[in-house]
Amino acid sequence: MLGAVASLAAAALQGPGTRVTYRVRVVEQGDRELARGAVSGPAGTDLRFALKTDSADIEALFQIVPQGDSVIVAAEFFTKRLAGRSRRGLALWEQDSYRRAVRLAWGDTARVHLFGRPRGASRLWIELALERGFSGGEGRPAEELQVVDAASDIRLEAVVRPRRARVVLNLVRADTVSGPRGFDLVPDAPARRVQLAMAGRRTNLEIALTRPEPSPSARDRVLALDADVVCLRVVAPPPPSPDVAQPVGVVCGRLNDVARRLPLPGGDTLVATFTWPSGR
Amino acid sequence: MSDGHETWLKQIDAELDGELSLLERAALAKHLAACSHCSGARASQLEVRVAVARSAGDPHARVVPRPIIRGRALAFWVVVAIGLGVAGGWLAHGRWGGPGGSLEDSRAAIVVH
Repeated sequence: MLGAVASLAAAALQGPGTRVTYRVRVVEQGDRELARGAVSGPAGTDLRFALKTDSADIEALFQIVPQGDSVIVAAEFFTKRLAGRSRRGLALWEQDSYRRAVRLAWGDTARVHLFGRPRGASRLWIELALERGFSGGEGRPAEELQVVDAASDIRLEAVVRPRRARVVLNLVRADTVSGPRGFDLVPDAPARRVQLAMAGRRTNLEIALTRPEPSPSARDRVLALDADVVCLRVVAPPPPSPDVAQPVGVVCGRLNDVARRLPLPGGDTLVATFTWPSGR
Repeated sequence: MSDGHETWLKQIDAELDGELSLLERAALAKHLAACSHCSGARASQLEVRVAVARSAGDPHARVVPRPIIRGRALAFWVVVAIGLGVAGGWLAHGRWGGPGGSLEDSRAAIVVH
């Protein structure tokens, strides 16, 4: 569901150079501002918000689906509240996850009452305003946060699902390392045949970039914590006979320039590094 | 001897409450004429009943008046009990928290402002 909303949002915002900005104010009872900030990015950028207090942890992922001059804001919440103490004095927490959605015009402000609809004075809320504009070639997401009350634990993060990823491959055997080969791959695109050379020997592989399986953790799924994780499926192409491809393995990781190793059947090790494509 | 007196003392109680038949009253009168202990006990019982009737505001009553729960007193104690309950609940809620409202009430709400 979340993925479908994200895809729909990305498709609806595919206009040339559209940039989305979430402006956020965190306000406490009495109109006291605790923090303010903004998250912006290309089409399909989501906002991950987190607030931690002594008695509650509230995390939410905000996504938008533009519809003409208005926009639907959908939010997935994952909350933990202190429900009391056990007989042994340990904290007892209630965990909850749910979804909210509202439609508003671009530039309007939505007030998100984090502890439920107020009957009298609300305890804490966030004000969320949405803006869109032309990116002017700026494709990278950006975050800014100014925390007024230092005692508040508040986070804003931009969540961007990669449409492409740069994959750098090396072959390693003992002390010998092949030269790096870089590929721009699109998730869920057909497999690509590549040839890596090391010490005069050539190794043929079929590689394909995929999205990871949904996380077993409800929190990870709701907050899209694996949004920037990709998986590289590696298959040894079929030799002339028998005509059957041999799956070698899958290596997954974030686009954070960390090398990940996958043993190959011939004794070599494939080292894969995932990064964001250049020009973001 | 003691068991006999116990029985006569119960008879005295019943006689003062007007619960004895003529035959039983005659037997009791005959015993009281001969037993100074039981006649003294009867006099004491009568004095106690007179005192109770006086305290109830009717010293000339023919029988001991039953205690009456007045409406005002009842209302007063009901109000006191409700007040104590509310105060105790408020203190307990402040100390340990309450069961809270419905789950939906505790969840975040988005309002276009």
